[in-house]
Amino acid sequence: MSETVAQFLLGTRGVHRDLAAFVVAARFDRSGGTAAFALGDGSVHLVAVNDKQNWRKFAVHDGAALALSPDAAPAGFISGGDDGKLRRIGSDGAIADVGDFRSKWVEHVAAHPGDKGKGLVACTVGKLIVLFDQAGEKLKELPHPSALTGLAFDAKGKRVAGSHYNGATLWFVAAKTDSPRKLEWKGSHTALAIHPDGDAVVTAMQENSLHGWRLSDGQHMRMSGYPAKTQSLSFTRNGKWLASSGADAMVLWPFFGGGPMGKAPIELAGGDGIICTQVAAHPQQEMVAGGFADGLVVLADINTSRILPVAPPEYGPISALAWSADGTQLAIGTESGFAAIIDLSKREG
Amino acid sequence: MANAETDAPGDGLVPVTVLTGYLGAGKTTLLNRILTEQHGRKYAVVINEFGELGVDNDLVVDTDEEVFEMNNGCICCTVRGDLIRIVGGLMKRSGRFDGIIIETTGLANPAPVAQTFFVDEGVRAKARLDAIVTVVDAKHLPQRLEDSHEAADQIAFADVIVLNKTDLVTPEELQAVEDRIRSINRFAVIHRTERAALPIEQVLNQGAFDLQRVLQIAPDFLTDDEHEHNEDVTSVSFEVEKPIDPEKFNAWIGALLQEQGPDLLRTKGILSYANDDRRFAFQAVHMIADGDFIGPWKADEPRVSRIVFIGRNLNRPRLRRGFEGCVVD
Repeated sequence: MSETVAQFLLGTRGVHRDLAAFVVAARFDRSGGTAAFALGDGSVHLVAVNDKQNWRKFAVHDGAALALSPDAAPAGFISGGDDGKLRRIGSDGAIADVGDFRSKWVEHVAAHPGDKGKGLVACTVGKLIVLFDQAGEKLKELPHPSALTGLAFDAKGKRVAGSHYNGATLWFVAAKTDSPRKLEWKGSHTALAIHPDGDAVVTAMQENSLHGWRLSDGQHMRMSGYPAKTQSLSFTRNGKWLASSGADAMVLWPFFGGGPMGKAPIELAGGDGIICTQVAAHPQQEMVAGGFADGLVVLADINTSRILPVAPPEYGPISALAWSADGTQLAIGTESGFAAIIDLSKREG
Repeated sequence: MANAETDAPGDGLVPVTVLTGYLGAGKTTLLNRILTEQHGRKYAVVINEFGELGVDNDLVVDTDEEVFEMNNGCICCTVRGDLIRIVGGLMKRSGRFDGIIIETTGLANPAPVAQTFFVDEGVRAKARLDAIVTVVDAKHLPQRLEDSHEAADQIAFADVIVLNKTDLVTPEELQAVEDRIRSINRFAVIHRTERAALPIEQVLNQGAFDLQRVLQIAPDFLTDDEHEHNEDVTSVSFEVEKPIDPEKFNAWIGALLQEQGPDLLRTKGILSYANDDRRFAFQAVHMIADGDFIGPWKADEPRVSRIVFIGRNLNRPRLRRGFEGCVVD
């Protein structure tokens, strides 16, 4: 058994804990100095990358945490919960309220560093995207026709988008008068990602498919063939590939050479019939991490299809995956409360 | 109370109770009773009108009913998107609760709620529809049935009917209203109440969607055709003693649901397949069907296949011939 485990990076380069509650999300702060795990018991666990034996637990939500993002600032995090709270968590564990929406759940959060302290924080509450400045002052509430299911800033922080029934809506955050761009497609859209160059918005749909809109010309993109719902979408840094969960492999759609229209996706780490539940594209290189329903985590090189085993299928369905911005650390969380940080930095000697 | 727990299917899925009924029928009163009674259980409650509830000790989720059409080829397949999100969110919470109670708005059609629990894989993996409980007002039900579609639909969908405000009508009126309910849905359990007072074990953890109990009630009413009211919505049931050929049944029911799905509010059956010792449970809401083997037939139990239809435009002879045509040659 120890031999099997040793083949996985978890055994050689990982630090892990049993946190005893559903890991809803994992993130690193913008500096990459701290990892955070938000849990179904409302706690957030912080781990400094340079002191990985010291896991600190903080009670943040009275209920379940539902969403986690790095803060707009270099350090710290923003979390949302089913207690209606939007909270800021310092890397020292200091907790402050940003918003309180009482009986409504705060289901999605996002932040953007902006320029020189002009960062932004956003969350979804029912049909609203609520936008705050970096200090936590509410800037505006953006209404939608139905409840929001996904939230993202574009790479420059100029626009924010939300997915909902019958499409997605794209807003300019600094607009004096809000006139959103409505991206329409009939059906229930359940997750959202924005292409790094800002020219495409992609959503996951209830009917086990993806839908996209090219913003420059309004071209629709349909990506289908998934046996299960896609929960996780992640563009590679240069925007060449969109990685997605929902099949028994990581499915990557080409966003170059005219794709994804009329192109077949590539499938990585597939073949054993286990559904991929989480994907996270490497923030620097053409690699993608994938987590599966049996707990397996792998790292795949997109160009060579070479697979590096990261965690064995032993600790519950993968529910969270996140990279540090420099791509040296990978955080993993599972539905059964297992959490780990894998160190992929070059080792001296 | 302990009995109710052991009676429930041991599938590890969280039971979901759907509470429907017109505004003023007594839904909120019943909900308050469920939540304040000292039963030692923990329920998550999904409501639409926050603030009417008088309790805060349970997990109450405020939502807007968001019904959308599935693009799956079924013309009548609508689901509640908000419930998909909420059930997913609740399942992340630590410290499991004993059940979820979903209160619908007064005019709600129960089909989207029920279909949500058939259609969405994520929801099906975690939760099971335990029962649809409809609260009706003994005094005002006849009027409601006259002026709306939904009142009959809510009765048609019900596994349990709480016939409330019995103190506001005469015994004759009460009997008449119960007869009307029976002529729409002869398979639901009816509890007569004043101020929605009844033991919660008559409402929660019914296991109604595993069918056995509902179908066991059926025989008492099978021959009871004496009160025909020419209702829009009616219910019929048939049984056959010869074993069923699964292929024939699937072909027949598939075509029937495809053709008459919009009329068929609920279809439920327990089938005895040839060469199988297990009971096959079948159910459908409109065109969305689901079936699975449940426990084996008991040694002393007659192996009779039985099917129930609740809906509009039910052609009894044609349905009977169709079902009887599914037996093995």
